[in-house]
Amino acid sequence: MLYSEEKIMMTKLEAIVQPSRFEAVKEVLTELGIGGMTIFDVRGHGRQKGHTEVYRGREYTVDLLPKIKIEVVIPDTLVDAAVDAILQSASTGKIGDGKIFLSKVDQAIRIRNQERGVSAL
Amino acid sequence: MRLESRTSTLQELYGEESARIRSQFEASGDGKAAIRERSALIDSVVVELWNELTATGKSLDGFCIAAMGGYGRQALFPYSDIDLLFLYEKDGQAEYLGKSIIAPLSQSLWDLHLRVSPTTRTLAECGKLHRNNIEFNISLLDCRYICGDEKLFEKLRDRVLPGMVTRESQNLAQELTGLARSRHEKYGQTIFHLEPNIKDGPGGLRDYQVACWMEQIEEMKHSHVWKNPEELLPASLRSDVIKATDFLDAVRCFLHYRQGRDLNGLTYELQTEAAAAGIGLHGGPVVSPNDWMRVYFRHARAISRLAVLLDEVPQTKSLWSRLFGKRKFRLSNAEFTIADGRISLRDAASAEDPVVLFRLFEFVAKQDVKLTAETENAVEAALPSIRKWLATSPDLWEILRQILVQPHAASALRAMHRLGLLVVLFKEFQAIDSLVIRDYYHRYTVDEHSLVTIENLHKLANSTGGSSNKFRDILSTLERPELLYLSLLFHDVGKGMANETHVEGSLEAVKGVFERLRLDSNERATVNFLIANHLRMSATVLRRDIFDPQAVHDFGQAVGTIENLKMLTLFTYADIKAVNPEALTPWKAEMLWQLYAATENYLNRSVDDQRLYVEGDDLKQLERLSPPVNDPGEVERFWNFLDGFPKRYLLTHSSGEISTHYRMYRRLNYSVAEISVTKRHDYYELVLVTTDRPFLFTKVVGTISSLGMNILKADAYANQAGTVLDILRFSDRFRTLDNNPSETTRLKQDLISAISGELNVGDLMKKKFQPEKHPPKVSVETRIHLDNDCSSHSTVVEIVALDRPGLLYDISSTFAELGCNIEVGLIDTEGGTATDVFYVTKQKAKLASDQQHELQLDLEHRLSSPHP
Repeated sequence: MLYSEEKIMMTKLEAIVQPSRFEAVKEVLTELGIGGMTIFDVRGHGRQKGHTEVYRGREYTVDLLPKIKIEVVIPDTLVDAAVDAILQSASTGKIGDGKIFLSKVDQAIRIRNQERGVSAL
Repeated sequence: MRLESRTSTLQELYGEESARIRSQFEASGDGKAAIRERSALIDSVVVELWNELTATGKSLDGFCIAAMGGYGRQALFPYSDIDLLFLYEKDGQAEYLGKSIIAPLSQSLWDLHLRVSPTTRTLAECGKLHRNNIEFNISLLDCRYICGDEKLFEKLRDRVLPGMVTRESQNLAQELTGLARSRHEKYGQTIFHLEPNIKDGPGGLRDYQVACWMEQIEEMKHSHVWKNPEELLPASLRSDVIKATDFLDAVRCFLHYRQGRDLNGLTYELQTEAAAAGIGLHGGPVVSPNDWMRVYFRHARAISRLAVLLDEVPQTKSLWSRLFGKRKFRLSNAEFTIADGRISLRDAASAEDPVVLFRLFEFVAKQDVKLTAETENAVEAALPSIRKWLATSPDLWEILRQILVQPHAASALRAMHRLGLLVVLFKEFQAIDSLVIRDYYHRYTVDEHSLVTIENLHKLANSTGGSSNKFRDILSTLERPELLYLSLLFHDVGKGMANETHVEGSLEAVKGVFERLRLDSNERATVNFLIANHLRMSATVLRRDIFDPQAVHDFGQAVGTIENLKMLTLFTYADIKAVNPEALTPWKAEMLWQLYAATENYLNRSVDDQRLYVEGDDLKQLERLSPPVNDPGEVERFWNFLDGFPKRYLLTHSSGEISTHYRMYRRLNYSVAEISVTKRHDYYELVLVTTDRPFLFTKVVGTISSLGMNILKADAYANQAGTVLDILRFSDRFRTLDNNPSETTRLKQDLISAISGELNVGDLMKKKFQPEKHPPKVSVETRIHLDNDCSSHSTVVEIVALDRPGLLYDISSTFAELGCNIEVGLIDTEGGTATDVFYVTKQKAKLASDQQHELQLDLEHRLSSPHP
């Protein structure tokens, strides 16, 4: 059976941040007791769509800027603290600071011993 | 029929004996004994089952059971498969044998939890080459009688197999070496993995086995006699190889017992356990995991030297390999012969001559050939002579430089390292010999990592496509690539030293290298800069916002010059790529290149703003550069000379060069201009010091171009007092100066006449300038970019165009005709592309928008219709 009978309350938090802020974000998440995370090297842009540079007389558009995406699945009780921590550590006040997305997680299962729910995190 | 009653007793006996063998191994650490005893144990089990199955029933002439593969060699590891050959003579027997013997015997062995790999073949089938299953033919080389019709087995061993091997020796050898080469390729052609596979990895047990099979095949071809393969191995390598297999046998037994499966990867955790248990050390003192791994690598190196036997077999019989083999043969000379990808000294004793020895390695670096076993032995034997030779302080840098710049330098350095020559030359390298630094990113030992960085850059030079092109283009413009390779070779030696950081250790270590190589101060400064800063660019990419101007500024300040920036970028590229093959992701490569481009722009566009001034913070720097004289007036005159020059001037010239320029400046009281012309390796350098005046730069470049010179690079500066310093590099297109040294005097005289207005450069260009006769081989789009923001004083004009004689004259005369003054000029040529940056002003101010527009149009027009 995929779902247990107890109520599952977990959230997936995806944060896209500047590479230069990644270490600070990782540190604050670790301090909150969030041990497991998945990290991706990504590129992208927001509404501003990057900028133009000139190299050797030629203009080129840097429209996909490098970012780091951090994914964690955490109990709902930790979500607010995690969001605040990321906002504080990742923000520089400039365009390109990134975004945080939250989504509900139906179930989590540890492969090693089939543990389910929040205790599998 | 299943042997249930017997099996349970057999199971107990097998269990007890297996446990005894394991205890014996754990007490003694003798892997060879354990695998022999295990083979004997399985023999007795198979014989017991055979006896039971054949006790009653039909005669079984024409059928026997033999051991193959490792089991056949009596080298059965605890959880290895048991390869059994069920051999019968005639077709038609198979069905009966299958039901009465093969199936029940195999089932019984499975019931004992043994992993059996049964093969059923007729005698005739064993005599054929199975191209789709060459492993079967190879495993037959190790076949050994267990039970059944012994005469049948003797026919196999003494007649059928020798016939097959003799007939198919070339095919067998080629297939065998092809499999080995694929395996080596899969493991990156190196033994220096931090978590090696001790069976299949290079330098592992499989390599040893391949060497034994190769020797057996060769011996069988000639003598038709089976010999002990160990006795057939090269005598010079035998002792080390036997010790190596003793060690690896023990390690593999340990891995099997520890994991309960046939897994042969030596992970970090298992290395720690093996070191703590003293596996393979024969009761010697317990060592740290890192030191235990050094023992492992020493043994793996011994086995990997057997790989030289692979090169005795041509890869295929294809036309390509025959032609390639012949090409290499044509490269033979009086000192070496080259055949089939191997180089050997004609006279082994000539290895004692350092000139011959290093020419050998230079050849390896150029052609990527391998040394024969005999030549390797000769090199090792010559090491004492080389030590004596080093004491005579030879020109080691020239020798090393010639190796470092060749396309296969890493191959040569690896061979030198493997044979102990590299450590004889540079004892500093001993610190990182087979050194393991444990982290989950690095794949190689520290010494191998250093060699892979050099290999990465040479491979980059030939890369096509993808993001590597941008880095390849940077590499092609380096002025002193050998300094970059030298830095890469020693950048991590500090990891084997007890300094606080490995960078400190490496910087300390290279001091000795500098002395031995007798590098000059500029060369030392470059190597020191690269080693000291080799982590800076990665750190900036990962921890700073590379699109933040402050981050670029800080990085640019640390780097200082374009040449340093190029070298550091390529260093970082090669270093990251050498961590492991996947480390330099497209993401990281793009970030690296973005930082490079932004910093290059910064360095080119900030020259005008970063000037040296006598007052303020620059005084200390000026004091350091001041000539060592007691006359305060002299010191003041020196400072006045430097006052207002861009700081870039100090970063790109040594104190010796600056002193020379100053002395030229001092002589200006007596002449219109002071000029020096010096021949360098493949270009001329002209230094001109004079007082600024209108059209100056145009007159200078026009005069030079009219005499047939092509200006490749130039820096043009002016100080606060209006003294101009132009440093130009040019090529002598028609070899005028090369063939007529007196023309140098004429060049200087023409320059002075042009500067003083006695000579009309415009007329000179019309009369004497000779454009290129042949159309250019490359096509470069002309790009002109004007920027009024990046400098506080000037308008920056960046021009990229097809390089051609007279280009600089056309550009500078356009500036002059529009009344623009060149405050700073940075001229560079990369391949066929001219990349020029000018800081210009008009009436001491930046150009207004309409002036910029006019300049852009004039430049576009002038550059599209070159000087006739």
